[in-house]
Amino acid sequence: MSHPSRSAFIGVIVALLALPFFTACSGRPAGGAQASGPPDLNGVWSAPFTPDISKPLGHQPPFTPYAADLFKKEDEIDDPLTQCLPIGPARGIQAGLMPFQIVQTPAVTAILFENQRTFRIINTDGRSHPSDVDPTWFGDSIGHWEGDTLVVDTVGLNDRTWLDTAGHQHSDQLHLVERFQKVDADNIKWTVRFEDPKFYTEPWSVTLPIKRQNTEIMSYSCEENEKDRAHLRRTNKLNK
Amino acid sequence: MRSTLFCALALASAFVFAAPVVAHHGFSVEFDETKPVTLTGVVTKMEFMNPHIYFYLDVKDANGKVVNWAFEGSPPNILSRQGWRKDTVKPGDMLTAKGFRARDGAHLVACTTITFQDGHQLTVGPGNIKAYDKN
Repeated sequence: MSHPSRSAFIGVIVALLALPFFTACSGRPAGGAQASGPPDLNGVWSAPFTPDISKPLGHQPPFTPYAADLFKKEDEIDDPLTQCLPIGPARGIQAGLMPFQIVQTPAVTAILFENQRTFRIINTDGRSHPSDVDPTWFGDSIGHWEGDTLVVDTVGLNDRTWLDTAGHQHSDQLHLVERFQKVDADNIKWTVRFEDPKFYTEPWSVTLPIKRQNTEIMSYSCEENEKDRAHLRRTNKLNK
Repeated sequence: MRSTLFCALALASAFVFAAPVVAHHGFSVEFDETKPVTLTGVVTKMEFMNPHIYFYLDVKDANGKVVNWAFEGSPPNILSRQGWRKDTVKPGDMLTAKGFRARDGAHLVACTTITFQDGHQLTVGPGNIKAYDKN
């Protein structure tokens, strides 16, 4: 009776959680943990809640005319999260409201979001993006290490997520490049570069600190007892 | 015993992962920051569930008529990190709850704090509206 996607999800999580133990038992160091290898990003982390991504940028991103008009008219009632839809790869880190867990192995690094219990899979086995990617909520992510930094390249995103609560949006041409730089045991410097020629005239980047959290990933299901939608009203507050 | 529990909760609240939270929607689409409200009544039901906890109070209005109000708070994961448990608020408790009314006029409140009869206060949702709206 189990749902196929749920079974797949559970399978992925179990495999990712088990992999470090298998490598430990085989006598080889767990991924990223060896002294000479890349830093260890395993753990539960959180970035400061950033509902308006223009704030760390210091100004509005370089909108195309199309995006500027869309942003001006945007109403937060249209936020995909209000409909309990997935949060998307970058917003899940900078505006997920809830912590996330990184599970790192040599070939795959996973980011497990507490928010809706969604996850990202970042392949670090040297593969390239597929030549023809069907857009999805979290896209296709590949990563490689540059010294102390995991560089993650993501394409194949659909246009249905927002970048933040303030209503900055994107198209399915969005290309993310993230740099997870391990600063010390409890800190990661996260820089995300947004490139989307339909919405932004040039790429732009923000950097936020990610800090280790003394907690575990908990449950969060948006649809469990959702009662708000019947009470929502358009705010008619135009963005600047 | 209750004092010990609430001291523990207050202490826990000072150290845990803190986040201003409305879990899946902005404040302004549902609630009115110009309509703060303080209501006292008896808890009739507690739903320690996602995406928001709800508890319900029977509140007497000025004419003595009892109205059942709904109070929305942060989700269980956030509140658990602040020391809450599913029975922190339970039917029969007498509470004073503060918050902001729903824009559509329903007997619904975005709850910020509750105060029990012994004076202990707990955070239920974000007190700073702008922290989770567009700022």
